[in-house]
Amino acid sequence: MLLKLTVNNRKLELSVNDSMRLLDILRDELNLTGTKEGCGIGECGACTVIMNGQAVCSCLVLAAQAQDAVIETVENLSNDTRLSVLQEAFLTSGAVQCGFCTPGMLMSAKALLDRNPDPSEEEIKTALEGNLCRCTGYIQIIEAIKCAAQKMKNLKEN
Amino acid sequence: MNYARKVDARAKLDGSCKFLDDYSYPGMIHGYICYARFHHGIIRKIIFPSDFNLSEFVIVDYKDVPGSNIVPEPEKDQPFLAEKEILHWGQIILGIAHPDRELLKKFISKIQVEYSNLPALIDMHECLDDEQNIFGKEITIDHRLGLTIDPSWIRTRGIYYTPHQEQAYMETQGMIAIYDPDASSMFIRGTMQCPYFVKAAVEAIMGKTVAETVVETSEGIGGAFGGKEDFPNIIAGIAALLSYKSKKPVKIVLDRSDDIIITTKRHPSRVEIETFTNPAQKTIEKMTIDYRLDAGAYQTLSPVVLARGVLHSFGAYQVKDVFVRGRLLRSNTPPNGAFRGFGAPQAVFAIESHIDKIAAQLDLDPYDFKKINLLHSGSQMPTTQKIIDDHISDCLERVIANSDYQRKKDEFAIYNQQNRDKKGIGLAVCFHGGGYTGNGEKVLRSKVRLRIEKDARIRIFVVNTDMGQGAYTTLAQMVAESLDHPLELTSMELPNTSRAPDSGPTVASRTIYIVGNLLRELALDIKKSLAGSSLSTYVKTNPEMFPRDYFREFSPDPSVTFDEESFRGTGYRDYSWAAAVCEIKFHASTYHIEIRKFWNVLDIGRPVNIGIACGQVQGGNVQAFGYALTEFFQKKKFGRMHGFTDYTVPLSYDIPEIFLEFIHTDSPLAKGLGEIPMDYPAAAVRNAFHNATGIFIDEIPLTPERIFNQLRNQK
Repeated sequence: MLLKLTVNNRKLELSVNDSMRLLDILRDELNLTGTKEGCGIGECGACTVIMNGQAVCSCLVLAAQAQDAVIETVENLSNDTRLSVLQEAFLTSGAVQCGFCTPGMLMSAKALLDRNPDPSEEEIKTALEGNLCRCTGYIQIIEAIKCAAQKMKNLKEN
Repeated sequence: MNYARKVDARAKLDGSCKFLDDYSYPGMIHGYICYARFHHGIIRKIIFPSDFNLSEFVIVDYKDVPGSNIVPEPEKDQPFLAEKEILHWGQIILGIAHPDRELLKKFISKIQVEYSNLPALIDMHECLDDEQNIFGKEITIDHRLGLTIDPSWIRTRGIYYTPHQEQAYMETQGMIAIYDPDASSMFIRGTMQCPYFVKAAVEAIMGKTVAETVVETSEGIGGAFGGKEDFPNIIAGIAALLSYKSKKPVKIVLDRSDDIIITTKRHPSRVEIETFTNPAQKTIEKMTIDYRLDAGAYQTLSPVVLARGVLHSFGAYQVKDVFVRGRLLRSNTPPNGAFRGFGAPQAVFAIESHIDKIAAQLDLDPYDFKKINLLHSGSQMPTTQKIIDDHISDCLERVIANSDYQRKKDEFAIYNQQNRDKKGIGLAVCFHGGGYTGNGEKVLRSKVRLRIEKDARIRIFVVNTDMGQGAYTTLAQMVAESLDHPLELTSMELPNTSRAPDSGPTVASRTIYIVGNLLRELALDIKKSLAGSSLSTYVKTNPEMFPRDYFREFSPDPSVTFDEESFRGTGYRDYSWAAAVCEIKFHASTYHIEIRKFWNVLDIGRPVNIGIACGQVQGGNVQAFGYALTEFFQKKKFGRMHGFTDYTVPLSYDIPEIFLEFIHTDSPLAKGLGEIPMDYPAAAVRNAFHNATGIFIDEIPLTPERIFNQLRNQK
């Protein structure tokens, strides 16, 4: 099938197999390997990307479902020299251990902060409930998201 | 103490860090495995599906092995590829490769293995309760004094069980092998903890057909927790064999369900403890421990896990007369292996539950009872090792104060009289020995290499991997700090067996404690040779001397001795100590335990990087909460778990408030940290449940089903 979609602000037309998963399109066709496969059945959240504003498991999205979609992956968060506020907060809060869940965590967190710039701890925990992390115990990740929200608020107010 | 940011974090945040599946090589094809889907039997025939073109597939079985089909590390009893007899579900029979991964998976799913069935032992209780299943060498620690049991002494007996636990690293097992026929070399890249183990495995399976094997890790290692200690040996061997046969680079990355089904787990345990306590003195006079582990179908790492388990089984207590017996039992389940704690979490769950039980029999608060019996400076372990400080008592006192233990306990007692839901508070203490057990480090003799470049950059060459625990940062920090050199100019090289000497495996809380301290000694030696100037100045003024390599080998402390037969002597040269308090709420309508707060106090000597140290404690605690409450592996009637829907690890909303404090941080020595935060929480949770309800449950996980059944049985 011919798939038209926007990935990280780039409009693309790709010829792909209908049964391909969005995850494979990103990793194999577009070489965006920042998005990880942890389970392949939507249980772990490592492959989370933002699709039309929503955090989704890209292993559960088939090519046809991504028609005309706007996709954002971890590669879009920073430019060459600067990390985003959210990434910077992960760095300073010690929220990265092995790093395999990190891209998915970042995308779930970004989707949350995009729609709710001032989330409570409960809302953060709920937004991350589909993202497994086996290293950190989540505490430093939750802390990082709180810090990022605060920093974004300060930036906006100034 | 240092708060330096992790050096590898940036690449992990922008998606550029390469994990194994992110590597690709020209001409690379996909490899996978075909494994037994029965527990025990003899293979009769393997039938390949007829609707595929067989010639497109590269297939290897045990007959293709040019070298030895036995995995060389650690215990030589497990084949890479099954021959005739299958001893466990998940035992690998074939390696298969094809350019198209989906087609490959389809092909493998249609392969039929005909077999004749043999009786199988798969239930952990059936395995552990029956002494007929003993295999391997028994370990005893005999510190009996022939005491006559006084009739007034209180006898306490308990049998404690712990289940399998899955490491659940987020990146599944994977390996790439690249055979070069012209150079007769094999290059292996993988997600692993022990590059030299993998090298030995590939050399064993390939025999003389390959002249040189080089192993390098992937840039990112997506968690390991012990799960990537010995299992990578097997898939590296199979990937190498497939690459040798196909003459192409071969990549194997396991699917999650296969990874969970076939790889190593934490050993299920049965620990029986009998004690006699003097009710007047409140002292434990005599203790007998029977420590058993379900090893699975092959011994592999189990004798080493058993040794550590036995050496942690008697707990942080001074007991006059002790006898410990440790044994492995065989079952038809995949070999169990390394997992953070390595036999200690099982031991600590048993002894800390038991101490709680004795205290209840004496009508004493567990805190008061522990205080009387705790090891202290000058006291002796059953191994005859002398304790040189009171740090365990210090940990206990601090955690009692930090958690406001006494006040909470009184408050909960009143709450529990008035409410159906119950609140409880529980206590646990423990130690964890750093580095290899007994003479292990003496035998290993780890070596490290530092290279100082012309521009004064320091490159560190060791094979200890960063699987998330922060080794690349902490090791670089230890070198940079010892030389007063900027951290930005000090970096770890990707572990590679052709460039780094064998600094030993990334296991046993030994990376900072052994390898880091060895690097530190080497860096301090270099500093002495600089005649008072800074490294940068020295390099600038003596350019002819650089680049230069520096080496150092671990030299064992000659005063440290351990007898492998009697298990007497110094089990571990240095111990880390910890005490913890857990606060829970038991929801009476759902039988659910909610962990609300958790306090840790640890002595790990000098923390190298406080941010990383905190992350290790929190992450270890949360793995242990899963162990305590939700994680188990066997479903009696339906076989094993196969994903994160039935194997439930803690999620973001399961996390309580965690408090932690490190004490005695002014020590010059950085001790082990990686494992100890996993050792004690399960017992603290179980003891808190006892405090809340008055009910002892001696098996984890404390699922609502188990609690419901126990309550029903007690009625």
